[in-house]
Amino acid sequence: MKSPVPGAGVGPRPALVSWVDHHRKAASYSLQRLIAEPVQSLLTCLAVGIALALPAALWAFLQNAEVVAGNIQTSARFTLLLEQDVNLERAQLTAAELETRDEIERVQAIDRRDALARFAEDVGLSELVDNLHNNPLPNSLQLHPVNSLTSSQLDDLAQALAGVSGVEQVVFDTQWQARLQAAITASQRLTLGVGVLMVLGAVLILGNTVRLGIEARREEITVIKLIGGGDGFARRPLLYAGLWSGSAGGFFGAVLVALLFWFVSPPLERLFDLYGLDRRFMGLGLPGMLMLTTVGGLAGLVSAWSTAFIHLRRIQPR
Amino acid sequence: MINFERVSKRFEHHDALRDVSLEIEAGEMVFLTGHSGAGKSTMLRLLMLLDRASSGRLLVNGNDVATIRGGRIAKYRQDFGIVFQDHQLLFDRSIFDNVALPLEIAGFHPRDIGRRVRAALDKVGLLGRESANPVVLSGGEQQRVGIARAVVARPKILVADEPTGNLDPGLSAEIMALFEAFHRVGVTVIVASHDLALISRLRHRIITLKEGRLIGGVGS
Repeated sequence: MKSPVPGAGVGPRPALVSWVDHHRKAASYSLQRLIAEPVQSLLTCLAVGIALALPAALWAFLQNAEVVAGNIQTSARFTLLLEQDVNLERAQLTAAELETRDEIERVQAIDRRDALARFAEDVGLSELVDNLHNNPLPNSLQLHPVNSLTSSQLDDLAQALAGVSGVEQVVFDTQWQARLQAAITASQRLTLGVGVLMVLGAVLILGNTVRLGIEARREEITVIKLIGGGDGFARRPLLYAGLWSGSAGGFFGAVLVALLFWFVSPPLERLFDLYGLDRRFMGLGLPGMLMLTTVGGLAGLVSAWSTAFIHLRRIQPR
Repeated sequence: MINFERVSKRFEHHDALRDVSLEIEAGEMVFLTGHSGAGKSTMLRLLMLLDRASSGRLLVNGNDVATIRGGRIAKYRQDFGIVFQDHQLLFDRSIFDNVALPLEIAGFHPRDIGRRVRAALDKVGLLGRESANPVVLSGGEQQRVGIARAVVARPKILVADEPTGNLDPGLSAEIMALFEAFHRVGVTVIVASHDLALISRLRHRIITLKEGRLIGGVGS
C-alpha cells in the first residue's frame, strides 16, 4: 500500500520508548493545566496542606515532648531519709556502699545541719530555725540513679533502697513520670489516628479534584478512546495531576507547620528555659518536610489512580 | 477485508440490523446509504466495536471481532481512521495537537509527528493554520481537520459517518474528493451518507439499507 500521506516518516517507535516519552509529556501537560487554573489548584493544594499539617504538627510537637520527658527522667534522684540515730559517718559509709551498685551513679551524704540551714534559707525563716533546740531533720543521702533506668526499674530500685539498714524513708515520686509517659503514648496514638484520618481526607479532596478533572476532560477522553487510545493513555495525565497537586499540598503543609512552629516556639523555648533544659524547639526539619511532600504526592497518586479506575471506564464513546 | 456474516443487532424496542451479510474488499471505496434509522450508523458502530452484534459474525482481516475485548479494543481501533459528522475536535488545543493525537497514542517520535501532521494538513489544504485553534475555522475547514486527524497515522481503513451532513453541496463535493484521493492510494474507505445526489455521481459501490435490511449493493 502506498502512503496516503506524502512525507510520512518511519512508524511507531518501540513501546517502551514511546511509553517513557508519553509519561514525560503527560507530566508536563498536567502541570501546565494546573498552572492554567491557579486559583482552583491553589485551593486544592491548601486544603490538602492543611489536612496534612495538623498531624505533622502534632507529631513534631510530641517528638519535642518526648525528648523533654527523657531529660526530666535523667534528672531523677532519690532522697533517702535516714533514721534519727544514724550519724554522719555511718551515713557516709552507707553512701559509699550504695555507690558500688550498678544502677546507681553517685550518692552524696547530706549533713542534717546543712539540711536545716538550707531549709531555713529556702523558707526564709532563719531566726525561727535558729531558736530550735534540736534539729528535727535526720541525716540523709541524695542518690542519683544511672540514666538508662526505666520507670519500672526505678520503682524496683526504690523498693530495694527502702530495705537498706538505717533508711527510714525513700522519697521518690515515680508516679508522675509514669503518667507523663502514658500521656505521651496516648497522644502518639491519637496523632497516628488523626494522621490516618487526615491523609484519608486529603485522598478524598484530591480524588474529588481528579473527578472534576475527568468531567472537564470527558470530551477529550471520549475522542482518545474513539481513535484508539487505551485507558492507560487517558489515565496518565490524571495520575500526574494527582501527583503534582498532592506533592504541592504536602509541601504547603510543611510550610504551614513551619509557620505554626515559628509562632509557637518562643514561649515553648521559654518553658524549656524554666525547666532548666538547654535545648531549642525542633521543627519538622528538612527530612520531615520531604517526608510530608512525599506523603502528599503518594496520597495524590493513590487517589488519582482509584478515581480514574472508577470513572474512566464509565466514559465510553457513544 | 471486512465481512458481515448474517449480522443482526437488536435494541430493546427495535431491530437496528437484520441478518446483514456483506463483504467489503481491501482497497475498496463504498458508500453506505439509507434513511436515518436504516442502520448505517449501527453498522459503523459494530465495526468500531462501539457496540456488539446480537447475532452473526463480523470478521475484519479474517479475525472475528467478538474475540477482541478489554485492552485490545484500543489497539484494534488504531487500524481505523474515523471521521465524524460533528468532527469531534478538541477546542482546548491547536489544530496541530488535534491532528497529532493519533500519532501520540501510537507512539511516534516527535520529529515524525511534526512531519506527518504537516503532510496531512497539506493534503486537506490547511497547511499554515496548524497553530490556530480549530474554533476559528469554518464548518468545512473543521471537517478537513477531522479528516487530517483520521488519515495522519496512515490507517488501512477510513470510516466516515455522515461527513458532509452539515456542509453545503460545494464543500461536500470537496470532502468527497478528498476521500477518493485516499482511496486511490489504497485505503479502504467506507462512507455513510444519505446524500444520494452526491454519492450517485461518484462511481463507487452504494450499499443501501432499509429498516435494518440490505436492499442494494450487496455484491462487489
